[in-house]
Amino acid sequence: MRKTILIAEQSEVVRKGLIQIIGSFDLFQNIHELACNSNIKASIIKLEPDILVINPILIQPEFSGWLKDYRSKKEMKIAAVVYALFDDELKDLFDEIIQIGDTRLKIRNKIDSLISRPRETQRQDPGDILSPREKDVVRLLAKGLTNKEISEELFISPHTVITHRKNITRKLNIKSVAGLIVYAIINGIVNVDELHDNKNV
Amino acid sequence: MAELIITAEMKLSDIIEANKRALVLFPRFGIELGFGDKTVEDICRNMDIDLQFFLLMVNTFLNPDYFPDKKLKNVDVEMLISYLAESHNYYLEERIPYLQSLISQFKHNVDHPAIVQLEKFFDQYIVEVKDHLAYEDETAFPYMAMISSYRKKPDIPVGQVDYSVGVFEERHDNIEEKLSDLKNLLIKYFPPAGDRYIRIRLLNELVDFEEDLINHARIEDKVLIPVVKHLEQKLKSM
Repeated sequence: MRKTILIAEQSEVVRKGLIQIIGSFDLFQNIHELACNSNIKASIIKLEPDILVINPILIQPEFSGWLKDYRSKKEMKIAAVVYALFDDELKDLFDEIIQIGDTRLKIRNKIDSLISRPRETQRQDPGDILSPREKDVVRLLAKGLTNKEISEELFISPHTVITHRKNITRKLNIKSVAGLIVYAIINGIVNVDELHDNKNV
Repeated sequence: MAELIITAEMKLSDIIEANKRALVLFPRFGIELGFGDKTVEDICRNMDIDLQFFLLMVNTFLNPDYFPDKKLKNVDVEMLISYLAESHNYYLEERIPYLQSLISQFKHNVDHPAIVQLEKFFDQYIVEVKDHLAYEDETAFPYMAMISSYRKKPDIPVGQVDYSVGVFEERHDNIEEKLSDLKNLLIKYFPPAGDRYIRIRLLNELVDFEEDLINHARIEDKVLIPVVKHLEQKLKSM
């Protein structure tokens, strides 16, 4: 099956170069490009690309959280295009790194292996199985907030809060809020002082 | 795996050999260990226990797939309630205090800030279990005993009672859920803290208690509720 790829790279020279090289592989039905990060979330949601090739400079901390969250739901590989240093914390986000000096063949091999290899989700630290967003929800639950209050606090819909809660329960196999509070303390998602607002504790 | 169906001619010792969960069951009928080679039939005769009732309880408790529908019509509700109340006593006087002592030992052996919260979680849970049992003992069972004795004492104002087994059924929430959370926290998430053996002992007890509660609830759901419903219908048509 043909794949969709989204290339986000601010340098036109590099971007067009990548499009030219990757386009020649005949693997992709659709190659989309972005020159900045302003529409990137909307493009990802709309295109549901199989691979995102992106310059790490375009990844702000908030966006990196969003990406992790998105990848907990959708199968999307991410490759970094690297020609400068980038924040080490982002390293875990990438399934592959394309260097600016890579030859066409090398890029081909990297893209091929991205397509054929399942994403390594188990690489994550076991204490870190919740996405940043899910951790926010757990933290606010532990502080005694209701679903509605959480949705207001995080600027998400109540429906999304419920979806997060379902996913949290599924991932952790902990159903009660009281149990989640213990989990949150063990994992440093919330500290004991913050619990004082919660009348149920 | 299909569970063994217990029959009248089986030896009590063989039943325990085949299924260790039967250990907690026998004391609820007043049967003490040390019964030699007695069969189910022997012990029921000696101790004046209704044989069919004993088999129904044992099989429903030990076998999740046991559907006792045919035998249900003859079940004596008072016998059933007294058996269930005996189980509640066992939880309150034996199982829960033992669990509490294990939790407190665990607490003294670990040095982690989350232990305070874990203990609170457990304490809250125990309060819930006690509430659940008290509700059954004080509200649900007396009502059921009352309607089952209606034929003997027809002056009871059954029609005026604002309660039914439907209310009980609706309220019959499962109290094992938090137990499973506690188990998972101890198995997967609570960091190692020099507590290896006490944690294993605690987990063993949690697993046994959970299983006991599930089996106990099955008797309430599959036997008690249908039997009392049947009684209620008979009373209505009188």
